[in-house]
Amino acid sequence: MSARRSIVSLLVALSLTTAVAFGATPVQLTFTVWSYSNDVILDNIKKFEAKNPGIKVAMQDFSWEKYTDVMTARFVGKTSTDVAYSSDHWLQQWAAANWIVPLEDFFPQVKPYKPDFAPYAIEGMTYKGKLYGLPYYADTIIFIYNEDMLKKAGFSRPPATWDDVTKMALAMKEKKVVEYPIMFQFQDITPWYIEVFLSMVYSYKDFRMFDNDLNAIFDKDGSAAHKVAQWLADGMRKHKIINPASLETTEIPLVKAMGAGQVAFAVLPKYNLADLNTPGAHAQAGKFKMALMPGETHGTVGFVRFYAMTKMAADRGKDARDAAWKFLEYFGGRTDGQFAVVKRWALEKGLGFAQLPLYKDQQIRAAINKWGNVTLEEQQSKLARAKEALTPFWGPWSLEFQKEMNKALLGQKTALDALKASAAKWKEMKK
Amino acid sequence: MNLIVPPRPKYREARYAYATVLPVVLLVALFTLYPIGFAVVTSLREVVLYKPESTPFVGLKNYVDVIRSEFFTSAWGHTLTFAAGAVPFATVLGFGIAHLLNARTRMASFLNVTILLPWAIPTVISGIIWAWIFNSSYGAFNGALYSLGVIERYVPWLSRPTTALLSVLFAHVWKEVPLTSILYLAALQAIPDELFDAARADGAGALAALRHITIPLLIPTTLIIVVYETMVAIVTFDLLYVMTGGGPGGATSLISYFVYNSMFTSYNFGQGAALAVLLAASLVVFIVIYLRLLRSEELYRE
Amino acid sequence: MSPRRRRWGNLVVTLLGLVVAAYILAPFAWVALSSIQPEKELFRVPPHWIPRIVTADNYRFIFTGKFPAGYQETGLLRGRISEKARDALPALRNSTIVALTVALANLIFGTIAAYTFARVRFRGANPLYVFILASRLLPPMAVAIPYYLIINRLGLLDRYSALILIHSTFTLPFTVWFLTIYFRRVPPDIEEAAMVDGCTRLQALLRIVAPVAAPALAATAAFAFMFSYNDFPFALFVTATIRSQTIPVIVSVTAVNPDVSFGVVAVAVVLTMIPPVAFAMVFRNYITRGLIAVTTTR
Repeated sequence: MSARRSIVSLLVALSLTTAVAFGATPVQLTFTVWSYSNDVILDNIKKFEAKNPGIKVAMQDFSWEKYTDVMTARFVGKTSTDVAYSSDHWLQQWAAANWIVPLEDFFPQVKPYKPDFAPYAIEGMTYKGKLYGLPYYADTIIFIYNEDMLKKAGFSRPPATWDDVTKMALAMKEKKVVEYPIMFQFQDITPWYIEVFLSMVYSYKDFRMFDNDLNAIFDKDGSAAHKVAQWLADGMRKHKIINPASLETTEIPLVKAMGAGQVAFAVLPKYNLADLNTPGAHAQAGKFKMALMPGETHGTVGFVRFYAMTKMAADRGKDARDAAWKFLEYFGGRTDGQFAVVKRWALEKGLGFAQLPLYKDQQIRAAINKWGNVTLEEQQSKLARAKEALTPFWGPWSLEFQKEMNKALLGQKTALDALKASAAKWKEMKK
Repeated sequence: MNLIVPPRPKYREARYAYATVLPVVLLVALFTLYPIGFAVVTSLREVVLYKPESTPFVGLKNYVDVIRSEFFTSAWGHTLTFAAGAVPFATVLGFGIAHLLNARTRMASFLNVTILLPWAIPTVISGIIWAWIFNSSYGAFNGALYSLGVIERYVPWLSRPTTALLSVLFAHVWKEVPLTSILYLAALQAIPDELFDAARADGAGALAALRHITIPLLIPTTLIIVVYETMVAIVTFDLLYVMTGGGPGGATSLISYFVYNSMFTSYNFGQGAALAVLLAASLVVFIVIYLRLLRSEELYRE
Repeated sequence: MSPRRRRWGNLVVTLLGLVVAAYILAPFAWVALSSIQPEKELFRVPPHWIPRIVTADNYRFIFTGKFPAGYQETGLLRGRISEKARDALPALRNSTIVALTVALANLIFGTIAAYTFARVRFRGANPLYVFILASRLLPPMAVAIPYYLIINRLGLLDRYSALILIHSTFTLPFTVWFLTIYFRRVPPDIEEAAMVDGCTRLQALLRIVAPVAAPALAATAAFAFMFSYNDFPFALFVTATIRSQTIPVIVSVTAVNPDVSFGVVAVAVVLTMIPPVAFAMVFRNYITRGLIAVTTTR
């Protein structure tokens, strides 16, 4: 090393230490997550801290299933929390409760990001016209099929409409490829139930569940919701092509059963395709493909999980807010022109993304094609829409909806009666 | 409750007494009085977390709303059905197993260890295990019945209202039976052998001894177990939540699930607290019985 | 009873014993079998009752982090497998430390309080005793948030002491009730003689009563240990990192993630059984002996 270079590096080192020693003490950010791949999160944090020496991040993690419960306690108890994972289906409650703040109010520099994000993701992060987050990941609900089973039943292309699905499933049943070709995750309280149901509704032209004043219109005879509900009830009770065990099933058991070769068709969040094609995990790995959602328009639900800033952080003052913005931008936005963290999740874990420019990235395209189909995926995400009528009572209402719908699937009431009952619940809650 | 017999307290004795019970009393007070106060105060206000602007006093409105709501009746119905199944099974099975544990055989010493296992495994983990075993696509229960030729195809146990409730009961009793059988075992071993010897000398058979000696002497223990198990069945939550999520179609959703639901899904703390107070009040009925029985059992032993 | 009838009786007892053992053990056997098989094998219809492929991969993953076979083959994807399950070992340490401390707290504070209730007359004794007992009967669901607020105010979130305080609150009433009954059964003559000789009340308890009461003390310690080790709802709220997360928290987190491997979860469950079973084996005899002593009619 030359003398000059060593002097330069010494000076740099000195200035760094003095900056830390004499500058403000490092800003500490508390970051709450649901536990998923914590080692990747921690590694990202380490890289972020190296890039921003004045900021220290403490991560705290909770079960995905109980995340909102614990966060509720934290917000009620004012336990210091600065940045947090959140989701489109909690945004309304969290924002209305004043637990998280609109990013636009504090960071005008967030606005230029909007054109980069898929519209369903922006809608999912917007409350009262303001953006509340930057995406951690975003994905669509997709139609997954076992190509092998389809071929055994004599079909070379996946179904394009729900009638196709019925027809193919009946053929599989007849040829004894599988007893129940279709399986859903319709346990009473699984949050995916409503998303799957809605994605089937959104595959119809006349998909609206609610009018512009948020009145329930899905209980009309012949509505898209009615068609879907009737299709499900018939599939379960008349054609017996839908596995009756769907009513106890949640995401993981469904994926495991599908991977074991017991399910030919399923409607699932897309990231499961990456898992299904993991050889160590499933006997049928490699045989799973996605198709556009069957139906008239092939529309589906797009959902988004995002990084939010809490009211507590906003109240801490400028230093904390600036640190929070650096954090949010590093994790959900661009660093040196790249969506680095989002890209990493996509490459290493197969998570979807709302940052549309990433679809142009060759590395990403190659990675997705290893377990999926990037062209179809991109096409499906352009057809995706956010869930309608997200309101603070949407969560409790969806539980009522699911319970009523299951009564129809059990044959305790008709599909239309189940819809009418849950429309009545909506009306009651809206008051 | 009349616990204290000897004469007038001395000053130093009293000081010692307060000093020694203080840590327990303080700890229990801290974690009892505040929660009760919290629940009562919240239940009288409209506290909806996503309406933070105001939390007006509404009197008994939350209570009325809760009692009028359709789930209140149905959930109590499910809860009492569940308790009506869980309590007799846990009690009778515990009684029977206690006899097996008390037999002087090699089997008994083996059972004495194994019976502790369900007790040692956290409830939420046992829920995960049982959900896995009862699974309709790859569960071991179906697998076993299938291998034995009892069923021709896998049965969706947790997807039908009746079998779902039975499956959950099966798992619940499995978790509870270690405690009931150990309590019965202790009571059983406390019966003097002479009583049985005398009965045998009088020519009484095993059944007669059971009817005239064992069962009457185990009545106090039985009452305690019945009341305790009733309370456990009423507040049970984790196991059902993991195994069925209250389904299918709400067939296994119990009252404690609605306390949870109104607080953490609807964010309606007012109603959640009202429901909790009502649940606590119904438990108080059992508590009173419980304390009475404990006392009568003490008297019985004197 | 004739020898023949006796033999029949024994046979029936043994058969019933086997049925009970099967009911109790079957789930554990299934979990143990699952822990030594590759993931794919666990979803066969019907299952291979005798494992076709036996592997230590799942155990190796928990202990060393090395991925089981077949988990790193899809493009750039890193192993999609329950990484959180690797926290099982520190979580078991946390659970055991907390449960042992709770057991110890019960032994110390429960014992001296119970001894006082059993032996000393003082104003307010009855109301305090009833209050302690009644507190045990609050439904857990109703107290989760208030408990969180207390722990938060005390600044104890994500610390062992939070769990120890809450678990002690739930177990001490039982301990006090149980030991009060027990001590009142022990004849006071020897202690009184010792106290006449200048022993204090506390010394009498420690030197004379405690050794005699060892089985009952062990039984209460075991109850306290088990309660603490079993707790999920409170641990969920007051723990935030692996610094204090206990095993039920870790297993339930792992089991709901999309990257869950049932084989790996099975290993965690097998490991979960070790501390309480070790504890129970050591204290097994004491537990029944203690219960007998308390419920004895003699």
